[in-house]
Amino acid sequence: MAKQLDVRGEICPYPMMKTVQALKKLAKEEHELVVITDHAPALDTIPTQAVRLGFSVEIQETGSPEWQITLTRKP
Amino acid sequence: MQAKGTNSLLGFGVRPSEGQTVGQTGNQRFWSGLVAVLVAVGVYAFANANETRMGLFWVLGLGFGAVLQRSHLCFASAFRDTFLLGQGRNLKGIIIGLAVATAGFAALMARQVPNTALGTFPPDAHVLPIGLHTIFGAVIFGFGMVLAGGCVSGSVYRMGEGYVASWVSFLGIIFGLLAASFTWNWWYTFTIKDSPRIWLPHYLGHGGAVALTFALLILAYLAVLWWEHRNGAVAPDAPFKGEPETNFRAVLNNLRRRVFVHGWPVLLGGALLGGLNVIAFVSERPWGFTGEISRWAIGISNGLNVGPGNLLGVNLIPGCVLDPGDGGVLNYMLFLVIGMVYGSFLAALFSGEFKIRVPKQKIRFVQAGGGGLIMGYGSGTAVGCTIGAFFSSIPSLGLNGWVWAVCLLIGAWLGTQAIKRIP
Repeated sequence: MAKQLDVRGEICPYPMMKTVQALKKLAKEEHELVVITDHAPALDTIPTQAVRLGFSVEIQETGSPEWQITLTRKP
Repeated sequence: MQAKGTNSLLGFGVRPSEGQTVGQTGNQRFWSGLVAVLVAVGVYAFANANETRMGLFWVLGLGFGAVLQRSHLCFASAFRDTFLLGQGRNLKGIIIGLAVATAGFAALMARQVPNTALGTFPPDAHVLPIGLHTIFGAVIFGFGMVLAGGCVSGSVYRMGEGYVASWVSFLGIIFGLLAASFTWNWWYTFTIKDSPRIWLPHYLGHGGAVALTFALLILAYLAVLWWEHRNGAVAPDAPFKGEPETNFRAVLNNLRRRVFVHGWPVLLGGALLGGLNVIAFVSERPWGFTGEISRWAIGISNGLNVGPGNLLGVNLIPGCVLDPGDGGVLNYMLFLVIGMVYGSFLAALFSGEFKIRVPKQKIRFVQAGGGGLIMGYGSGTAVGCTIGAFFSSIPSLGLNGWVWAVCLLIGAWLGTQAIKRIP
């Protein structure tokens, strides 16, 4: 089960800041972090920061408005 | 945003995303959307019957709000994220908007003031006095907007999207503007009275001023690109993924989702804001609204006999200067401000991005209210917010817009240092 980070209700820039923090804290053997957000601007900010930390990004709309951003460590 | 299924308001016959509980049926969404649009039409009819420009500014307000919402264009993020995170998405959109508005404003001002040697100013252009009040107000404004997570325009459009914290910010902004009105006379005598209004065409002619402004905008754009590149990869906005266009119905459906559901490219959003700003200036005055918000605060407090009373020199300064009003309630600028909230609400409703969002941490309310209060005071002192004193000032070819931008950046940097320490 991948680690989850729920940032629903948070305003800018916290969804992105908390994601970056969580990615940096992710243990070596953990490869995936799932971010749950209802803040559409986070879809523009999180991918760039995640890519720079070596993660790939997949966004899935799961609600109205709610998204799951799956960040996977690149090998 | 794109999804497996969409649950937008306009979505006829679309299936909901997997594993999702849908609160409203498509039918309910259709009817609530229809009612929301009819309300907008009704307000237009009422405003237009009162005064033509009230109707026009209602429509402009709807446009500004909808474009901000659809392109997720946020001025606070532009100044906060560009230089601290190496992400210039929003700032690039704003620079494009400034370029569009500069072209339109310059054409209008060249007709208003054909001979720049006479030393007169174009009426209503946001050429504002530059002084210590500008530096102080813009720096604290930048700090406040980062603390609150949005500037005045950002708070206004997020109010429409259902962010409760932004309503708290807005309340803070109202009280901040009121506080600024109580200290206005001190600031006016101390610095504003003797501060110069510098309009570039007085020194460079119309052509020179426009050329210099465009050169600076291009340089700024290149600087943002360089800075982004220096900081590493930049992920583009999520691309639109439509259904295969095998029949015309699918073509129409993709078009509908591009406009109403998928986020707009930020450069398009910026250009549209610039274009709407030109329409606002051509028909009345450039975009701005802290003056109008101050009119509510000062008007009500004066009405209760606890107001600031007479404000020195406010009728000598254009733009979003504090406005005691004439005691009336309706004003075309009122329709602009309310229209922005409603336009964003409509756009969010159609795209499925409307949601009442309540922050879990109580500290966020303190940040929102405190940041709003600081922004209100800053915009009252520095004569405008990121819109009136920056987005409408640089195209007015006033030097004040550039001074504002630099001070805002310093304030935003200070704000970021603060929020890094608030978990």
